[in-house]
Amino acid sequence: MTDNKKSVSATLAAATCSLLGSAPTAPVQAQEEPNWDFNTALLYYGEDNDRVQDLSLNILGKRYFIDDRSLTLGLTVDTLTGATPTGAIRQGVPQTFTRPSGSSAYTIPANELPLDDTFKDTRAAVSVGWEQPLGRLWKTSVGFSGSFEYDYTHVGLNGSLSRDFNQRNTTLSGGLAIAHDTWDPVGGTPVPFAPMLDVGDTGNKTGGETKDVIDAVIGVTQVISRQLIVQLNYSFSNSTGYLTDPYKFLSLVDGTTGETITRVPAPGVEGPSHEFRFESRPDDRTKHSLYTQAKYYMGGKVLDASYRYMTDDWEIDSHTLDLRLRWPIGEKSFLEPHLRFYTQSEADFYTISLVDGAELPAFASADYRLGDFDAITAGLKYGWTTRGGNEMSVRAELYRQTGSIPGDLLIGNQVGRETYPDLDAIILQFSYRFSR
Amino acid sequence: MQGRAPAREVSVEAGQDCLVGHFAAMASPCEILIEADAHDEALRLARIAADEAWRVEDKFSRYRPGNIVARINASRAEAVEVDDETAALLDFAATLHALSDGRFDITSGVLREVWTFDGSDRLPEPQAVSAVLRRVGWDRVTWRRPFFTLQAGMQVDLGGIGKEYAVDRVAGMLREATTCSALVNFGGDLAVTRAPQERRAWRVGIEPVSADEGRSETVLEIESGALATSGDSRRFLIKDGVRYSHILDPRSGWPVEGAPRSVTVAADTCTQAGMLSTLAMLEGYNAEAFLDGEGVKYWCRR
Repeated sequence: MTDNKKSVSATLAAATCSLLGSAPTAPVQAQEEPNWDFNTALLYYGEDNDRVQDLSLNILGKRYFIDDRSLTLGLTVDTLTGATPTGAIRQGVPQTFTRPSGSSAYTIPANELPLDDTFKDTRAAVSVGWEQPLGRLWKTSVGFSGSFEYDYTHVGLNGSLSRDFNQRNTTLSGGLAIAHDTWDPVGGTPVPFAPMLDVGDTGNKTGGETKDVIDAVIGVTQVISRQLIVQLNYSFSNSTGYLTDPYKFLSLVDGTTGETITRVPAPGVEGPSHEFRFESRPDDRTKHSLYTQAKYYMGGKVLDASYRYMTDDWEIDSHTLDLRLRWPIGEKSFLEPHLRFYTQSEADFYTISLVDGAELPAFASADYRLGDFDAITAGLKYGWTTRGGNEMSVRAELYRQTGSIPGDLLIGNQVGRETYPDLDAIILQFSYRFSR
Repeated sequence: MQGRAPAREVSVEAGQDCLVGHFAAMASPCEILIEADAHDEALRLARIAADEAWRVEDKFSRYRPGNIVARINASRAEAVEVDDETAALLDFAATLHALSDGRFDITSGVLREVWTFDGSDRLPEPQAVSAVLRRVGWDRVTWRRPFFTLQAGMQVDLGGIGKEYAVDRVAGMLREATTCSALVNFGGDLAVTRAPQERRAWRVGIEPVSADEGRSETVLEIESGALATSGDSRRFLIKDGVRYSHILDPRSGWPVEGAPRSVTVAADTCTQAGMLSTLAMLEGYNAEAFLDGEGVKYWCRR
């Protein structure tokens, strides 16, 4: 070759330019297709007052094949610790409870909200998905999901189909998912409304229980202009089987004072100091929801706004408004503020306590998650592209949940003492996306 | 640029998220992948591409009687006046010859009189090679634009430039003719007209050297620019365990030693990519070192 090897490319470029009578319009951008695209995230969720803390690691790998086919494999491992409200009300005296395992008891000081601090779990979840086009306008996907905890197992199958219309400006899509979940709680599944018994007495427990869920969604995505894309989805969900939370219960109270009925454990054994009844929920739940989302591109910034309305036959109605604004900073990084507002009404069988001597309702739960509450999430995400072309981001969010108990659910001394167990939580996330 | 010309037909069919125009030119299957939805539009663009490919083929193929190459090859040392486009190609060939220290030579085609790469062990006699070599060499021609003079017995062959040149010409015309992104692919030498909208990049497979090798296809993503591949997957000779590639060094008349089986290069234009991959093949054992030194992106198979 010539003396200066670097000059070959340069001379060739100049010669090509005069041969073609024009300079290249854009520099070459070609690379070997990444075999795997990995999305990894470490997420911390922590509630105040030593309530739930969750640390989860998420790895999602996507392998691309020729012709836009792809395989997705997901793995999530998370550990949960901390205490959570049991459903029992406060008392002016200490209260003793039998642990869910039935093997020991714990005592809550006077005037404190009873929390179960045995809440500790490790969960592993896996997912496998396959996506591919069917001809030019159709796209399909199928997937499997499974998650495993020592007391809960979930397996599910899902599939979707979409078709483009109108020069790809309109996409109609439909999806279906079925799941089969199995509860195998420590110490057995409580019989609905069964009393909490002394340590060692399992007369109120049965074996495992199951739940089946069918979810269906249909949606349309429409490109309105170069700046605006909107989406509208309707989804339907039906759950049947054991929908009760085996770790939640209610206090059995005096119909006038509202104080929990006391009891005495059998001689020589530990046991509940008061009367508690395990909760009972319907074995069927049907939800309908409408979801609409708009993405608006404005000179590099992207506004992503969505709203969801959900209603179900447990009489819970909820509204969610979610706003994100992606704001580029230079070419390689961005800031994304996030605001989310959520509000829901309580389930028709949500209550605070059961009245001693009165006829039992068909269903009852004092689970605060079925109550009337509002939540707000405010956060900020900062993302950047590394020198190697990988993407990193950090996100910090504050979550505040505040609720109220309808006045007609409070009896006697409960008025002024029982309040909705508000919570504050922080969410921290670190994400890293890379290809290999 | 050899063999019987297939029927000159253009067809369009649906591809993966695009429409694909098909035709045959320059002894290669040619395809134009277009991000258009309307069949008529795709056909219009594919016809523009095919017409230009056929024009370049008719004008510069050494198999077409009466064209400029045929006139030069039949000129018997008479000066031939050439048009501007031919002159530009000859200038380019001159530059390449100088750049490659004589390894790239459009007069080397006559070596095929003694070399037939059919996978057999039939090597030519060294004397026969030496005899033919006397009719090879850009140094022996006289090129004073617009007059080209070729010695009797010599031949020029623009086949080493023509396909890549045609790809770039077609890409330029489609860039003018549509705002849609198109991928122009003439038998593996290809260029993108503009960045695609409906996908991250056009996806292109590089074939394994041979099917029984058990290696999977490498998939490349190309957003802009061009790719070209030089290779000898099917054209070679084997004698006494030595594999002779069809890449001949016009200075010796013998195959280049240690040439990779195939070299794919990415560059701004298909012409640049094609010349870099050809020059790399001509470097033989030093192919990768040469490409590394040039700082270009490449995929080499040995």
